[in-house]
Amino acid sequence: MAETVIAVNNLYVDFFIQNQAINSFKDLVLSFGFVSPFQRKTILKGVTLEIQRGECFALMGKNGSGKSTLLRTLAGIITPTAGTIEVKGRIAPMLAIGSGLELELSGYDNIKIIATLMGMSRKGVVEAISFVESFSELAKSDLQMQVKRYSAGMIARLGFSISVAQTPDILIVDEALSVGDIGFQEKCAQRINEIKQAGCSIIYVSHSLTELKRICTHGACLVDGKIALVGEIDKVAAYYESLFHSL
Amino acid sequence: MVSMHKIKHFPLLVYTIAVKNIKMKYKNSALGFVWSLLQPLAYLLIFIMVFKNAFANVERYSLYALVGLVFWTFFNSTINQMLLAIIQNASVLKTMALPKLLFPFSAIVAEVITFLFSLIPFFGLMIFFGLRLSPEFILLVPAILVFVLFTFGLGLTLCTLNVFFRDIGLLWGTLSPALFYFTPIAYSSALIPEKYAFVLQFNPLVHYITLMRCILYDNVWPSAQLWFITIAIAVGFVAIGMGVYYKLKNNFVSFY
Repeated sequence: MAETVIAVNNLYVDFFIQNQAINSFKDLVLSFGFVSPFQRKTILKGVTLEIQRGECFALMGKNGSGKSTLLRTLAGIITPTAGTIEVKGRIAPMLAIGSGLELELSGYDNIKIIATLMGMSRKGVVEAISFVESFSELAKSDLQMQVKRYSAGMIARLGFSISVAQTPDILIVDEALSVGDIGFQEKCAQRINEIKQAGCSIIYVSHSLTELKRICTHGACLVDGKIALVGEIDKVAAYYESLFHSL
Repeated sequence: MVSMHKIKHFPLLVYTIAVKNIKMKYKNSALGFVWSLLQPLAYLLIFIMVFKNAFANVERYSLYALVGLVFWTFFNSTINQMLLAIIQNASVLKTMALPKLLFPFSAIVAEVITFLFSLIPFFGLMIFFGLRLSPEFILLVPAILVFVLFTFGLGLTLCTLNVFFRDIGLLWGTLSPALFYFTPIAYSSALIPEKYAFVLQFNPLVHYITLMRCILYDNVWPSAQLWFITIAIAVGFVAIGMGVYYKLKNNFVSFY
């Protein structure tokens, strides 16, 4: 029987944002305290979801439907306003390639810093360095160089390699595979497959339906902060496409 | 949600980020660490040239001013680093599940390390200016600790509020020179007419500078009252800082 690794129950996430009517200190003073400078905006409105061990789960939805917010909440970056999330195992979020890279420092320094931020011990960091050296195909002389001298592709190689250096229990991928040249893209897809083979669950966000259908078996489609449909990948993909054709 | 692993991992995170901060601060500069000595020295030189004769009644004026300047420099530089600690790391905090306190905390750790190293040459200079070695020096350890706590509390408050209102950072840029002259660093508080002297009591920095001067300049044991005031202010500011931070930290994400 399949084991549930992520159970999301009736999840609400609010953002605290500036009131649109108050754009300046002048507006605030002129409102004489009748208008609050902040307001709440509800992004996720009662999301319920279960993901099984070893499952590769696709998340679809239009821009602004709440996909990234859901991923960040699962990853523990955002605290939910209401509802519960149960996670079994360690989550590795891959939300933006190259975030946290410090351009002034060398490739090696960056591997150490980001791997530590990802929760690796000193020993884990040493392993991550040798993984990145072989996986990224960047020469040692490149890795000793300041990252600001890297090309965009080299930065993507470095960033992606660090983020897949360890095999997590649950991998969250937010449109990350469109990096590097063709050779590196294949390598990334291969590594994702490896992680999947190791029994890890993957939550995958992408707008490329062919990619989602290739990797995932199940999926869900978010519409305006609610789950509109959960099920087999083909059905959900068809539903997602219909959202655009009915316009 | 806070697991044992995360608590155990926190010191390594702080160490890594603090070392990174120190590296970044002096990256691409030829003099590097020497800059953290040059800034107070430049002020000291100006003070000695401009004020030494004006404040002739302050004995060993150079030492008097240097003690104030060394601690002011630590305070000002730490607040400046802490103010930006969360905003500057927004992209990391948006993509990784990290305690947000990590960045302001690492910022002050990096500043304390730089400060302690800068004390070595400054100590030599203080001896040159007539510092008398005395057993009271052991009190520098608790005195610095209390001062660091105060700075952390204030820094954390400003850092948190700065996420929501960038005015805080701009306001600090305007206010800190005023605070500098509102604190008896270049001048002696004895010069202020008695009926206005109480105003200075409302400036928390005054008490810390007095504490340091008791130990390094007057070579006396600070009074119990002074210890009480400085500890109380430090605890108060840490409580405010932590309170503001815990109240608002979950709302950071939509303001980066």
